[in-house]
Amino acid sequence: MSSDRAMIEVRNLTVDYIGENSVARAVNGIDFDIREGEAFGLAGESGCGKSTVAFALARLTRLPGLVSGGQVRLNGEDVLNFDKARLKAYRWNEVSFVFQSAMNALNPVIPVSEQIMDVIQTHKPELGQQGARERAVELFELVGIPPRRLDDFPHQFSGGMRQRICIAIALALNPKLIIMDEPTTALDVVVQRDIIEQIVELKSRLGFSVLFITHDLGLMIEFCDRIGVMYSGELVEVAPAESILTNPQHPYTRALGNSFPPLTGPRVRLEGIAGTPPDLRALPQGCRFAPRCPHAMDQCRVQPPELRYYPQHRSEAACHLLN
Amino acid sequence: MVFLLRRLAFYVAALFVAITLNFFIPRLMPGDPSARIIASFQGRLNEAQVEAIRKSYGLTGSLWEQYVTYLGSVARLDFGISTVQFPEPTASLLFYGATWTLVLVGIAIFFAFIIGSMMGIHAAWNRGRFFDSVFTPINVMLNAFTPAVVALLLFYAFSLQLKWFPLGRAHDPSLMPGFDLQFIGSVLYHATLPVLSIFLVSFGGWHLGMRNVMINLLNEDFVILARAKGLSDRRVRYRYVARNAILPQITSLALSVGFLLGGALVTEQVFNYPGLGKFTFTAIQSRDFSFIQGQLLLLTMSVLVANLLSDIANVILDPRLRKG
Repeated sequence: MSSDRAMIEVRNLTVDYIGENSVARAVNGIDFDIREGEAFGLAGESGCGKSTVAFALARLTRLPGLVSGGQVRLNGEDVLNFDKARLKAYRWNEVSFVFQSAMNALNPVIPVSEQIMDVIQTHKPELGQQGARERAVELFELVGIPPRRLDDFPHQFSGGMRQRICIAIALALNPKLIIMDEPTTALDVVVQRDIIEQIVELKSRLGFSVLFITHDLGLMIEFCDRIGVMYSGELVEVAPAESILTNPQHPYTRALGNSFPPLTGPRVRLEGIAGTPPDLRALPQGCRFAPRCPHAMDQCRVQPPELRYYPQHRSEAACHLLN
Repeated sequence: MVFLLRRLAFYVAALFVAITLNFFIPRLMPGDPSARIIASFQGRLNEAQVEAIRKSYGLTGSLWEQYVTYLGSVARLDFGISTVQFPEPTASLLFYGATWTLVLVGIAIFFAFIIGSMMGIHAAWNRGRFFDSVFTPINVMLNAFTPAVVALLLFYAFSLQLKWFPLGRAHDPSLMPGFDLQFIGSVLYHATLPVLSIFLVSFGGWHLGMRNVMINLLNEDFVILARAKGLSDRRVRYRYVARNAILPQITSLALSVGFLLGGALVTEQVFNYPGLGKFTFTAIQSRDFSFIQGQLLLLTMSVLVANLLSDIANVILDPRLRKG
């Protein structure tokens, strides 16, 4: 399904939030690739920078956020330096977005047909009104909503249906990458299951890549091919999904895995992670996880570790313990 | 539809309460309205004449009888006889004044709402940049001016000193009222300064209101999604953000109607404009109860009508209200 060729390459990406008289580095020089047809997950606690990365990738970062360094390449092209025309084509043709709350992701006062058709007409004016409408009907059928409901307003749909509509909008132009920022968090588990199955099915049929963001590690492991674990604006581990729980390299990944209850097997006491993530304006000198890490050594407190590839585990991790 | 019918029932009830209060308030005050007329004849009236005057004010019979008579005359839009312009019927004075006030306030609200809202949209979109940092503070400041100050300044500068605009009246008295260009031109010429003075103190409010709602909406997911879709700036700004931001503005517009009609009093006084406010001012000075009563009722009605219109507009503009 997924090839080894990197479609999106993120190199040393750095995003700051500019305050009145302070700068918070929300994303601190991270590197990762998303391959063709791959589902890549970003996991981590709230505020670790997952969504900030997603926004930077889609070129949606707005003040007070500022992409202050690094590169994002799409098949070799430098995304962060796109001019206006190229950016317009990049948006939605190549990268589209599905947001967490489907209620808020749709404009409440205009019919959903218009919200699907406007993106088609903006990018493919040659299709005309009629062609855009036909495509919208097609998309509704694709996500399993009767096309006669095309002209309804968002409030007339259930939460699950709204999220399907958002997926239909995301698919409108056959993008190469769909960024899904907590796409099922606001839904109940049954609907969540349906939606995920549908995304999996569509993905295998249409072959797009997914950048999947959620704090539900179980769901992520099931859906994604590879997972990047973020802590305090840095990637601490990038590994195949199956080894995140079974063979975690970084103590934070292990701790994160231990904070989820297993669905089968004996009942275990959940450990959680003691302490809180550091304030981005007053970071520890060495490894950012060191103050909460049960295995921290002297070196950890002075020298930040670098993300390195460990072939024997097929994973990348940033931890002094591994050397 | 159900929503509108419910609102309509509410407004009818509110109107009835207003009409009833309007009946009782003057009767609870010491000395009835006819007393002034009767007193002005300094005892030269006989019993029958006094009775006739009292009767013409609906002040004879039991309270219940008076109330029924009163309801009947309100239904016929008969507000009695003016004491100041005796024996002119109050209703005709009211409607004459109301027409001119409507011209003033209508034009002023129209421009203030549109221009203020457009400026608000622009300021919110370019938040913190040149347009926003210049016009937002200026408009806030203008909004803080009282109508009296602005009206006096404009009157002094453009009517008294520069003599660009007339010193009073709603139109050139030598013209016959009618729907011809000359008359309408004269009306607009006479209305310019009063309209401008109402406009100047009110458009800042729309600017601020629109700007604030817009800024809140800019962080909504559907606006971020619209930008991510690569839609044109124009489309995102108007169809996604402003389209939603206009809804609360329409509600405040209805609420401001009563305030503006009341506020026109000062403007009309300064520009000697024959509107409702100017008549009311005279009526208060000379205790013309029937006029004040009628004016109160008219204001109440116009506020209710404005609210009903805003409900209708909201139902048209907001699909979420259409059901249930």
